[in-house]
Amino acid sequence: MSGTRPRIFVTGLGAVTGFGAGVAALARGLRRGAPAISPVTTFDPGAHRTQLAGMAPLPPQREGDPAARLGRGERFAVQAAEEAIVHAGLGAAELTAAGVFFGSSNGGLLEGEAFFRRLRRRERRLGLRQVASHQNNGPGDAVARRFQCTGPVLTCSSACTSANMALAAALDALRAGECEVALAGGADALSEVTYAGFNALRAVDPGPSRPFRVDRAGLSMGEGAGVLLLETEAHARARGAVVLAELAGAGATCDAHHMSAPKDDALGPLHAMQRALDDAGESPSSVAFVNAHGTGTPHNDVVEARALRELFGERVADVPVTSTKSLVGHLLGACGGLEAVVCVLGLLYREVHPTGGDDPADPELGLDVVIGGVRRLAGARVALSNNLAFGGNNVTVVFRRAPHD
Amino acid sequence: MDHPVPIADIKRLIVQSLNLPGVNPADIDDDAPLFGTGLGLDSVDALELVVALEKAYGIQVADDQIGRKVFASARTLTDFVNERLGTPRGVAAGE
Amino acid sequence: MTTVVITGLGTIGGFGAGSEALAAALARGVAEVSELRDPAGYRDAGAVNAAALCRRNGEDLDLSPWLDPGRARRMSAPSRFAVAAARMALRDAGLPVERGPATRAVAMATTFGAGVFTERLLCEFLDSGPRTASPFLFTDCVASAPAGQIAIDLQATGPNVTVVQREAGPLLALIEGAREVASGRSDVVLAGHVDEIGTLVHAVLGKLGALCAPDEDGMIRPRPFGRTRRGFLAGEGSTVVVLERVADARARGARVLAKIIAHARAFDPTAPRADWGRGGAVLASMLRARLARLGLTPGDLDAVVSGASGSVRGDSLEAEVLRGLFGANMPPVFAPKAVTGEYGGGNLAAALVLLGGASCAQVTAPDMLDPALGIALHDGGLPARARRVLVSSLASGGAAAWVVLEKP
Repeated sequence: MSGTRPRIFVTGLGAVTGFGAGVAALARGLRRGAPAISPVTTFDPGAHRTQLAGMAPLPPQREGDPAARLGRGERFAVQAAEEAIVHAGLGAAELTAAGVFFGSSNGGLLEGEAFFRRLRRRERRLGLRQVASHQNNGPGDAVARRFQCTGPVLTCSSACTSANMALAAALDALRAGECEVALAGGADALSEVTYAGFNALRAVDPGPSRPFRVDRAGLSMGEGAGVLLLETEAHARARGAVVLAELAGAGATCDAHHMSAPKDDALGPLHAMQRALDDAGESPSSVAFVNAHGTGTPHNDVVEARALRELFGERVADVPVTSTKSLVGHLLGACGGLEAVVCVLGLLYREVHPTGGDDPADPELGLDVVIGGVRRLAGARVALSNNLAFGGNNVTVVFRRAPHD
Repeated sequence: MDHPVPIADIKRLIVQSLNLPGVNPADIDDDAPLFGTGLGLDSVDALELVVALEKAYGIQVADDQIGRKVFASARTLTDFVNERLGTPRGVAAGE
Repeated sequence: MTTVVITGLGTIGGFGAGSEALAAALARGVAEVSELRDPAGYRDAGAVNAAALCRRNGEDLDLSPWLDPGRARRMSAPSRFAVAAARMALRDAGLPVERGPATRAVAMATTFGAGVFTERLLCEFLDSGPRTASPFLFTDCVASAPAGQIAIDLQATGPNVTVVQREAGPLLALIEGAREVASGRSDVVLAGHVDEIGTLVHAVLGKLGALCAPDEDGMIRPRPFGRTRRGFLAGEGSTVVVLERVADARARGARVLAKIIAHARAFDPTAPRADWGRGGAVLASMLRARLARLGLTPGDLDAVVSGASGSVRGDSLEAEVLRGLFGANMPPVFAPKAVTGEYGGGNLAAALVLLGGASCAQVTAPDMLDPALGIALHDGGLPARARRVLVSSLASGGAAAWVVLEKP
């Protein structure tokens, strides 16, 4: 299946999360395992049903900095993309023909809310320039513009699967030779109406989310960005790039069942994982760990666990599972990008970070959830990252450890 | 609270807030199941109904009350609302 | 890439519902517009107050031939438009609503998503606090709601993609859908786009100076590539096409509307966030190079269905790209967005209808053209021998997408 297609490598990583700016801060935070879930700072959460989220820091604004005019989501995106580019050691010339594939489900909604308030109050200065970042393509476009890319640029916006969708689209474009380099991932800034909306669905844990636990009570929201610098094998070898991992495959399905509840039979997520593994030319037996969607909502965890048990069979007890969302929150449209960075780190360092919280996992789920400390792996070759979303979308991406010659 | 909320009001609220096409509130049987069979409502309808009730009557519905028992029928829902309204706001039991 | 064909078309817009209604509107060369009421007073005084809406005689378009009211009760307008267009497309393709053994997937685009639902959600929580946020509104507010609703309606269990990329969204979604079918992973893909033009979105477009004002007779004539152009006509609606591999279409004796023989995607980084840039020369060279890789030269293209809409800088960029690509050998050019409107209208449906023999009135008269752009609009249908049509879409913000359709 994967024989004649070029391999697509990850050569740079970038991240902004509740643990701070940068991949190093992310890695430290994941290893410590203490959730970065704290009171919301970009609006007053007092009147909301819950008050916490994984708030990410913006870099301090420099005088005359063009980035200062960008919306919050756009700034997260540009920051993470810049880190990935620097990490990969790519120069401006190599970015000219690059593609940009981003996921975002909020786009500039935070700025949109502020605009709407000013509009309703009939203020004279509305900040119309900012309005343009209100669509979900704002963050991805900001990256393409900032790095002067002229290749294929698109933003996927399918709620929680946005960034994995974008990774899949990037993989496809790179394999087809449409571009040789791509920035792929996601960025989302928390917005008040989204915060209210998830609370209206009673899907939010008042405290830090505890996925896969007996008394799990919902998700924690978060914000930030996760970006991969992807290149074809030929391009990476020609310039002597350091290869971090391989983006080996992607698979997607739709439950086609209900707009906000997953289907109990778990076939949608199961088939997405199977298709992703087929696409990567791997089997379930080669998977070393899973970065679960793991939102901590009672229903999601049950369905995802079922899918994992069906996929791995008896082996499921030997496949460590973790939820990054328990530590930095659910980055919504960006979560796939951030969790991809985490998977690559896991393969590089042969470790799986703990899922937040001290309670043991719910035994009924039958999973080996990593709790209490980093789990070291003897050999880790393949990792899965799942995204399951509203409307029943399921997208899984597969990473493979970089070949070391 | 002098006058209990009549079941007819609750039926009207159900039809309005859930945007049920062609359903006459008067045709909703007092004890017919609202969820699953009967009107065939689902979990998102339950949440929408909760928001509508909270807005209309100023009561608060906790997560664990959004279950099938309270919301089983128009009658159980009406009883629940009246029970919540029976204690005037701001006065806790035992004060 | 395995050849992908379009075997069904569903389309709804200011012109009504279906390809015949669209063809009639294109032949007339002017859009039906409806007034947008503005009880909240979002619009500036004297601003454009009409758009190409899915309304007739003051009433919403009747979508009941394609939409079950029970299912539609929680849907936003974009979801309703999209599900209706998808059903229409499937029927047009001669495929059953029930799934059968084929894997179906969905690839949709939207620019504004569920604008009216989002506005209501915002108003509710600004007026009554965040705890009054409606679950109904929230779940259908995500950009991917229409694609999700199509999937539920048609039991499409394959990948479900939603692209948000403004004016380039429709063709980008079509390209994603075509690649999905070509890959063999899915057998039938419903691909398209949907947009709703609510009063808030329309008012903001007006404040940005993006809209064309009505003529004295109340009609809105954006005059793409015209000297006096000042903006586009906002249009809502949905277009969905059915994509299949050519072998499957032949095997079931399907009527083919068009073959997709090439596509290209690029970005113009000179574009500001809310406008078009000036990187037409680079876009043209990216397109030319991409066509060359697929064995095509500009001379192989017999007509252009451009995305020109009457926007000042957007049309300039379209013209620059076309001149860069064709030089002095410009084929016939059409600009159907003058009739379908921008966003929900789109030019994909118009391109298919033209390939099917419809004609488009010359929406900008020769003496009204902008001489600086060097583009003239064709009057009538595709020339008799025209086989390959370049469909173009350049987005504000910088994205670009093109597709080459071939007559079957």
